[in-house]
Parts: sequence; structure tokens; C-alpha cells
Amino acid sequence: MMNKKHIKRSYDPASQKMIKKAEAEDIKIVWDRYDAMQPQCGFGELGICCKICNMGPCRIDPFGEGPQEGVCGATKDTIAARNLARMIAAGTAAHSDHGRDVANTLIMAAKGESHDYALKSTDKLKKVAGVYGIDTSGKSVEKIGEELGEKCLAEFGQQRGNLRFISLAPKKRQQLWEKIGITPRSIDREVVELMHRTNMGVDNDYKNIIKQGMRTSLADGWGGSMIATELQDILLGAPEPVRATVNLGVLKEDQVNIVVHGHEPTLSDVVREAAKDLELLALAKKYGANGINLAGMCCTANEILMRHGIPSAGNFLQQELAILTGAVELMMVDVQCIMPALSNIANCFHTKLVTTSPKCKFPGVEHIEFKEEKALEIAKNIIRLGVENYKNRAKKKIDIPKEVKGLIAGFTTENAFRFLGGKYRSTYRPLNDAIISGRLRGAAGVVGCNNPNIRQDWAHVSMVKELIKNDVLVVQTGCSAIACAKEGLLTPESAFEFAGPGLREVCEAVGIPPVLHVGSCVDNSRILIILSEMVKEGGLGEDLSDLPVAGAAPEWMSEKAVAIGFYVVASGVFTVFGTPHPVLGSENLTKYITHELGDIVGGKFAFEADPIKAAHMMIRHIDLKRKALKLGPMMHQKKIH
Amino acid sequence: MNYVIIGGSAAGVTACETIRKHNKKSSITLISDEKFPLYSRCLLTYLIAGTIGEDKLCFKDKNFYKENDIKTYLGKKAVSVDRKERRVSLEGGTKISYDKLLIATGATPKSVDVPGVDKKGVLTVRKIDDARAIMNMLDNVKEIAVLGGGLIGLRDAYALRQRDKKVTVIVKSPQVLSQMVDMDAARVIASVLEKNGIKIMTGVAAKEIAGDKSVESILLDNGERLACQLVIIGKGVKPNTELASSAGLKVEDGIVVNEFLQTSDKNIFAAGDVAETYDIARESGRINALWPCAVEQGGIAALNMLGKKKTYDGSLSMNSVDFFGLASISMGITKPTLQLRSGSVVSEVEPPKEEKKYEIISRTGENLYKKFVLKDNKIVGMVLVGDIKTAGIVSALIKNKIDVSSIKDILLDDDFNYAKIMPLVKKFGDKFGQEEFNDTVITY
Amino acid sequence: MKIKVKKPDVKIYCDITKCVGCHSCEIACAVEHSKSKNIFSAVKEKPFPKKRVKAEHINGKIISLHCQHCEDAPCVKACMSGALSKDEKTKGTLLDKDKCVGCWMCVMTCPFGAIVRDIENHVAVKCDLCPDRDDYACVVACPTGALFAGTKEEFEKKIKGRKK
Repeated sequence: MMNKKHIKRSYDPASQKMIKKAEAEDIKIVWDRYDAMQPQCGFGELGICCKICNMGPCRIDPFGEGPQEGVCGATKDTIAARNLARMIAAGTAAHSDHGRDVANTLIMAAKGESHDYALKSTDKLKKVAGVYGIDTSGKSVEKIGEELGEKCLAEFGQQRGNLRFISLAPKKRQQLWEKIGITPRSIDREVVELMHRTNMGVDNDYKNIIKQGMRTSLADGWGGSMIATELQDILLGAPEPVRATVNLGVLKEDQVNIVVHGHEPTLSDVVREAAKDLELLALAKKYGANGINLAGMCCTANEILMRHGIPSAGNFLQQELAILTGAVELMMVDVQCIMPALSNIANCFHTKLVTTSPKCKFPGVEHIEFKEEKALEIAKNIIRLGVENYKNRAKKKIDIPKEVKGLIAGFTTENAFRFLGGKYRSTYRPLNDAIISGRLRGAAGVVGCNNPNIRQDWAHVSMVKELIKNDVLVVQTGCSAIACAKEGLLTPESAFEFAGPGLREVCEAVGIPPVLHVGSCVDNSRILIILSEMVKEGGLGEDLSDLPVAGAAPEWMSEKAVAIGFYVVASGVFTVFGTPHPVLGSENLTKYITHELGDIVGGKFAFEADPIKAAHMMIRHIDLKRKALKLGPMMHQKKIH
Repeated sequence: MNYVIIGGSAAGVTACETIRKHNKKSSITLISDEKFPLYSRCLLTYLIAGTIGEDKLCFKDKNFYKENDIKTYLGKKAVSVDRKERRVSLEGGTKISYDKLLIATGATPKSVDVPGVDKKGVLTVRKIDDARAIMNMLDNVKEIAVLGGGLIGLRDAYALRQRDKKVTVIVKSPQVLSQMVDMDAARVIASVLEKNGIKIMTGVAAKEIAGDKSVESILLDNGERLACQLVIIGKGVKPNTELASSAGLKVEDGIVVNEFLQTSDKNIFAAGDVAETYDIARESGRINALWPCAVEQGGIAALNMLGKKKTYDGSLSMNSVDFFGLASISMGITKPTLQLRSGSVVSEVEPPKEEKKYEIISRTGENLYKKFVLKDNKIVGMVLVGDIKTAGIVSALIKNKIDVSSIKDILLDDDFNYAKIMPLVKKFGDKFGQEEFNDTVITY
Repeated sequence: MKIKVKKPDVKIYCDITKCVGCHSCEIACAVEHSKSKNIFSAVKEKPFPKKRVKAEHINGKIISLHCQHCEDAPCVKACMSGALSKDEKTKGTLLDKDKCVGCWMCVMTCPFGAIVRDIENHVAVKCDLCPDRDDYACVVACPTGALFAGTKEEFEKKIKGRKK
């Protein structure tokens, strides 16, 4: 055999092994389905297929010979803009619905209706309560928590005023949003309005559609996602830097392996408790297992990784591969990024798949609904299923890749730069100074998914290495963070090997990795606050768009990534996506979001599939910002041309 | 001109058709020792199985000879050729003069050297009369033994199984289809046959066919005795070279021909199962007793008989079978460690050094097997079981000896298809030999 | 239905520079070869109607690949049941499914992979140049004008026109 398919499909050696195994056993996985789907429809790829009304479907001929407008008369600009806007709406809806659930859980915990949760971070509670203008004097933690939860919850359906968290953005940014008319007023309302506007025969001006798209995305980043992040910190504890391990090798051959997959930590956090239950451990022993091994997958993994150091089995494209090890007794899933294929893959092995959210079910898959009131009890019941399934393992089918890497996770807005300032001087000053002095070039957020259209992890890893080599400090979330963790980049030691001299000095001085893991994909909101703090600290301009920073999603696939991209751009940050948004069928729209937006909101998109070229685009942008800020030359490095 | 063709199957009929297409006036005479005209031998097992009736046996319109003005001697065997006088003698004494002669006498089933082989109820399947004889017996037959696990034996067994008979296949080699595919593929195919009720016994041979007048049982060399009322010998064929030999033509395994399909006599040509032609994959002489080869050779021999110099690129061994919905195709060199020659396996293992020249890529799945044999980055053989959709594309790569280094690692993919070879078509253009290839890449 | 007499030497060409891989030709082909010839009914027919064309890709280039109706057709030479033949008038390569026994010799020899198995009916399936209509279903369905039915000269002329 000289088939090198596994190497082309993934950069990660553990994944490669499992891809090979799938091939040997003739089990079709995501890459096979991707191959079978080729060629993919160009109309869809270009964004010029419209299925919004029943006069359609309509498609615009990108080569100009066929129809140039839909039955209703919609041009390619209108069609592509409506489609893109609906992606933003869906992405915002996903993040925000997550935030809504967290707000509900916070209220229940505060009222004592769900005993398995407590308000773990009172510091954070008080800080966020302050943002919401809650008078905390003389009130119990529970009372404050309840009031905050209710205020957050109210923002979803709020009819007057604006979202509270936008007050954390620099004044100039707030004024700009107000001037353009994209200040988010409420969370659900912006999504609803965007869906209304993109309905047949409403908004036909692609620029106006994208404007509401930006407003909606801001309701995600500065609304739904931020509520999710901040309230989770209050409820489950604010993360602190923690050492942990990552990749399929965290699965254990002699233990019951339970994988939690999805996005919402309310369940997984309790599952972690349940896995320590003595009775369950005894049961595991009875079945011959040496314990219960809990591992995460996707962003649920990131949540319990950064709060508790629970190992992560991998990122998005590894969900099937984890099952392919043959060693997973149970995979429980909540919401988002859960491949429908899982039930079939699980059927090839003994793995039990359990759904837990009323929003996410599979035909024929056992559903054990998660309820906050009985969280621990339900978590134990699910784990018990896994333990009892241990006996059904087919020893012959077990094949766990050895690959494991260490990482440090758990950096947050509050703690990340405390390190830079030293333990007693929690301030962004040293970060700003390092940038101003040219020791650091700037910072970049590299985030997003995996996608079989790009070799798994390769774009993340290549881009991040190129950035840190050029003295750009990188912050990461989601599957991108896991990708780089698997490469060992999320360790202080990696600074020696990969970071440029300036960044290395900083990392060495304070003992942090050159690549900071700041959480799950809703935690991209942390990045917004970090940037705002940098502006507040002074010396790097007055607005987010003045900062020498850039964003990227090199392997994106989800609608959530589009929403994130837009709130980052609308917040003033230049952002590179790997494969393009489905907009290339409309020259006008493409020009609008990749050029003209820069003059309107300060941020704009670029599409570049080559991660090195993309990194260079980011570096060039950072250098331009440095120049505009009249910062001195880089201490150790030259310009990238 | 007098064109005489001996043999009324694929090669002979195609030759008649081709000559007439180019020459409306000359006399064409066809001699066949069978009475039933224009039937396709390959369909006989479908007839036995009951899939088709005799009305569907013909591969040409029934008025073909008349419409093409071809004089026929059907049911008459040609017994000798007088090369000096350029005359063919038929049994019964008729003599036919020729200017150009095509010998397409085909092949005869091999028999076995087993006591009792002459008993009633021991048959082969080659001619329509054989098929009719078997069908006449079927009502009184419950159990059938098929000797031979090659292509012919298995096709016979498959046909009879479809008649709800208890069929046992007795295979001398350790695997079925030993000349066509390797052990891995054979295992997949055999398992489907067995799942559908055909019993396969490998590594055993018949020792004696017993019965009073008619067959009652068969004794195997492992001591086992199987009750059976019908024995089918499906052991492959041998070329009918007697006529050529007696005329003094050069004969090795088959009648030796040059690239114009001309025998050692410039006025005599040979085509089809009796001709030993150049084998493209093996790069040596070989009989590829196959329908597509016979048709092609018949056509090219005819052109050369007409004086239109037309080169035959050579033949390629290839087979397609479908048992119970499991399709399998093999082509060229499928087992590079075995020297395969003209239907008889010489189990001579090539020196290891030689073996290293071959590169094998393969993949196995449930009811799936794919294998490609490469030499110097050119595909020289393949086995496809279960998923055969790429067979034709690969056949073009084999035939035209295309360097496939750039697509080697996607050959096994489920979505390997014609588009994947378009860069090669663009690059090597005319090497593909057929203008239609260029048509596909006009805008590439 | 009356078989429409088609122009000779016509086959379907694909302008690769214009094919976006939308698979409309595949859908139209299957519908044309369904009993109802209506997409909403065709999707309910069992067995499903079979398409005879496939959008295939390599390195971002996509071709809607059809039977090339080869002049010296390997499939016709390989067909042992007489099911495949060349139409003398149109030069099309035609398959008589009543004569086909499903031996797949044509699949084995078609260098374009343009003949596929209809597994349920156990017969080969290939482009028949739409005998029930005056035009060609796939060509009509092609939304970008990538597909073209005509002779090679006509296609080359069209391509030249396009490049100007």
C-alpha cells in the first residue's frame, strides 16, 4: 500500500492513524463524504443560488450568458448578501441561544432551584453586575446573581435601549456604531429583523443588508456570546491557567472512556463531578476497568479543559475518529458541530451515543434529557451507561493512537495579562509597552473550525507558527486552539522553538506560551474585551481599529464562524478567512466586505487559503497600524513584504 | 476476390461484416461446423440459467448473412487447407477456393482425465447443442458437480444455481478463479457464491465419475463422494489448431500471427480464440480467448485481408463476471508472481528481483476489493470486485501504457473517475489513440 | 412515444471553463429517463430513474461527462449480446436494453467510464441522446451554457466565439 490519503487529509498524526484505520475497515468518514460530494455546486459556493421563496430556486449565471436576476428580479448582489446575512443570523442564534441557557441556569442556581450549581466566581459576578448597573451593596451573592441573570435574559427580547456589554467597548467605537446605526439593541430582535429583511421582497440593497448583518453579529459578540462567557465564568468559575493534555492519546485503554462533545458546559461541568462518583468507580472496577476517563471534544472540551484541566480528545474533525479508536464507551453530546454521521459511526463500534439537549436529537439514538434541577443525577445516569458498556468492547477493534501533547489553557481577559504585569500588577501596561517598544509586533486571534476542504489543522498550525515567528502574540479559541495544542504550540517551551526573538523574550520573562488559549468559540468575546482593555490602557490609539492586531479563521466551516468574523470586523479588526465566504458570485458584495467596509467600520475581510500568505497579510496589516500609530521600528524584525 | 472465413462466431462474423462494409462486390464465404447461425457463445450460460430464451441468443440480426450477401456453409467442418491451390476442403468433399482466408476456428473445452468421464451426464458448455442437452436433463437432476473453479466453471455453476439445483464446484487450486484474480479477490467472490448456495470445495480433484449408465456420483481425491446426476466440466478451452497445423502453418500455443494478424502464409489470417497474438500487458505472445478480442481481431484481420494495412496493437486479457450482483473485472497481469501463459498455469515463481519491478496497490472492504499492478509507473493489471465503475478508464491506461505516477495514490479512491485522468489526456493526447479523448479536453 | 430523428455526428460537449458542478445535468438526465418525466414524481419512482451523465472534477476543474459516442466504439466491440450498436444514420452508440444481459463487458471497456450499471434492472445504462425529445435534456438544463450538443466543428466554433 502506498496510499497517502491520510497524510493529505490531516496534518495531525493521531488523526492520520485513525483515517487509515477507517480506510482499512471501509468505514466512511467525513473526508470520504467530502470526496463523494465533489464537485460541489458552484452556485452555492459563489452564493448566487436563492431558495428564499417559492418562485425559485433561482440561480444567477456567473458567466453572464444565462439569467442575471432571479424570478423576483433579485440581482446576484442581493442574493449573495441575503444568503450571507442569513448565515450571520444563524451563527448569532446559535451562540446566543447558548447564552440564554446559561442565563437561565444562573437564575436557577441563584434561586436554589438547581443544587448542583453554585455561583463560583463572586469577583466576576460583581464586575459584571457593575456593567449592568446593578446596585450590589448589601445584597447577597445569590440576589445579585438572580438580578444579573434576569437582566441578561431580558436583553434577548429587549425592546428599548441597547445591549449593556457594548459599554465595555472604547467610546469612539460606540460612537461609530451609533453613527452608522449598527449598535445592537437586543439579541433576538436583531436576528429577527435580519430574517425579516432577507425575506422575499424586503431589503434589496446589499449594503443595507450587510449593515443589519453587522448589527446582528455585534449582538452575538457583544451580546449572546459575551453573556455566555461571562455568566459561565460566574457559574462554573473563572478559568485560571492550567496544564492539561490533548489529542486522541488521552483516551485510555484500561479505563471507561467517556467523551463529552458539543458546546455548552453546563452539563459537561457536572459530568466531571459525576465521573468521580465512588459508586460508579466501583462499578467500573467490577467490569474490569481501572477507572473512568473523561475527555472532551470540540468546545465542550475547551470549557472543561480551561476550568478543570480535563483532557481534550481533539477538535471538530476528530469526533468520528475518537469513536474509531474503538475505546470510547460513551459519547454524550449537547449542541452544535455534532455531525449527523456520529450515529452511524457509533454503530460500527460498541460506542453508545447519547443526546442530552431537547434541541439536538438523532433518530434512533438514546436521548437522556439534561435538566438543571437534576444535573448531577442525570450526569451519573449517563456515565453509568458508559460504564456498563465497557464489557461490550471488542478488544480487537481497539486502537488508540499514542499521540498526546501538553498545553496550558485557561487564559482570560482578567488573568492573561496579569502574567505580563507580574502577579501584583494586574495591568495591560506591559503588553502595550511591549508592542510600543517593538518587542512585540502586535497580536492576532486565530480561531475557528476544521473543514475537510483544508488539510486538518495544517492551516491553523502553519499560520500560527508564521505569526509567532514574526513576534505576533497569538490568542486562540475553539478548534483552532486544539489544533495548535496538538502541535505543542500552547506551551511556554514552544516559545524557544517557534517564537521570534521579541516574543520569546516576553514569554521567557513571564513564563507564558507564545500562543494563549482563551477558551471556546463563544469565548471569542474575551478577545473583544482584551482589545478594549488594550485601548483603555493607552498608547495604542483610541479605537479598536487603531490596534496593531488581526484575526483569522483559516479552516472555517460553521455559520457561527461567519457571525464571529462579522462581529470582529464590525469591531474594527482586519480578519482573514481561509476559503472565501459564499460571496464571490457578486463582485460588488465581495468588494464591499473585503474593501469598502474598512472605510466604514475600520475592519474588513480578506480570503486567503494559503495560511502563510494569510499570515503575511495579517502581519502587513499590523505593520500598517504600527505605522499609523507612529510606533518605533520592530526591535528584532523586519517588515514582511 | 474470394474471401473465405472459417468460423462463425465473434471473429468470423465481424470479419465478414468488415469486408462487406468496405467491399460491396467480392465474394465472401463463411464456413461453420455449427448449424445455428450467429449466436453468442457467451450467452449460453444465460440461456441455461433461464435469464434469456433462444430468441435472444443472436448477436446479429437473423438476416445478417443474406443482407450482406455472404455465402454460408453451416454445419460443415473444414477438414483441410491446400495452401498451394488455395483451397479449403469440407467434410463431404466440397472444395472452396480462396484468395484470402481467415481461420477463426475458435476453441474446444478441455476435458479431464478421470475414469467415467465418458458417461452420460458428463457435459461441457461450449455450443448451443451442449446447452440444449443440459436443459433437457434439468428436470431429472437435483445435484450437480462442476469440475473447475475458473471463469467457465463458475459461470456454469452460477447458471445452474439459478435453476435451483444443488451445485458443488470442485476446484483443484486453493482458490477460485486462480488465473483471473488473486487470493484476496477470490475470497470475496467465493464468499458471495457460497452465501447464495453454491458449495465450493478447493484443493480437491475428481478421482472417478461413477454411475451405471448415467452419472450417479463423483469420487474426490480426499475420499469424499458426492451424489450428482450431472457433471459439468468447466476447465477452460484449448484452441482448435488442427486445421492450421495440418496445413503447415506456424503454431505454438495458438496459430502464430504477426501484427497484421497474418499467419506464416501471407494469404492466411487468423483471429479469435485460435490466434496467439501479442499481449499488451505481458509483452509476449498469448491467446486471449475473449469475446472483445475476437471481435477486434476479426475486424482488423478483415482490413488486412482487404489490403488495408492495419496494425493490431495487441490483446489484453480481461474478464467481467457478475455473480448474484457482485460484479468483478480483471485485466492484464493480476498476479505478477505467477507466469501465466496461454491458459495453462505454470506455477513458476519469478525471481524476487523481477517481482520488485511490480508495484501493487490494493484495498479491501466488505464485498469490495481493488487492486492495481504497476510496472515502471504504468498499470499492467487490475482486479476490481464490487465496484467496477472505473474498469474501462483503467483499461485505456493499460492499453496505452500511460505513465500514471501522478494519479497513483488516487486510483483506489471511490471517486476515481475519468476527470482524474484528464491532465494525462491533456499531456499525452494522442497516446490515448482515440480521437474522442481529445474531444473531452478541448476546453480543459 | 415517437423516436425523434436526431442530427448525425452530434454528441454532448462540455465547456470545462463554464461548468460549475451544479449537477443540474445529472438531475435533468435522470428525470428525462424517468417514467413520469417530472422531477417531483421522478423522485418517488422505484427503482429511481438513472442518470447517464456525471459531473466529475479534478483540481477545481469540473466536467459534465457524457458518452463520447466513439466512432470505433470499444463498448460495441465488447458487447457479446448484440445490445450495443452504432446507429448508421446518427453515428450514435445505442444500447438495446432488452438485449442486454448485464455482463458489464461495456463497463469494462468504456474508456470514459460513461456506461454504468443499473443494478436493480441488471442492465447497462448509457447516454441515448434523448430519443423522446427534439433537444437534449442535460443541455437544456445547463444553467451556465457549459453543455453543448452538436458536432465537433460546431463546438469548436462556439469555443472560439467565446474566447473573443
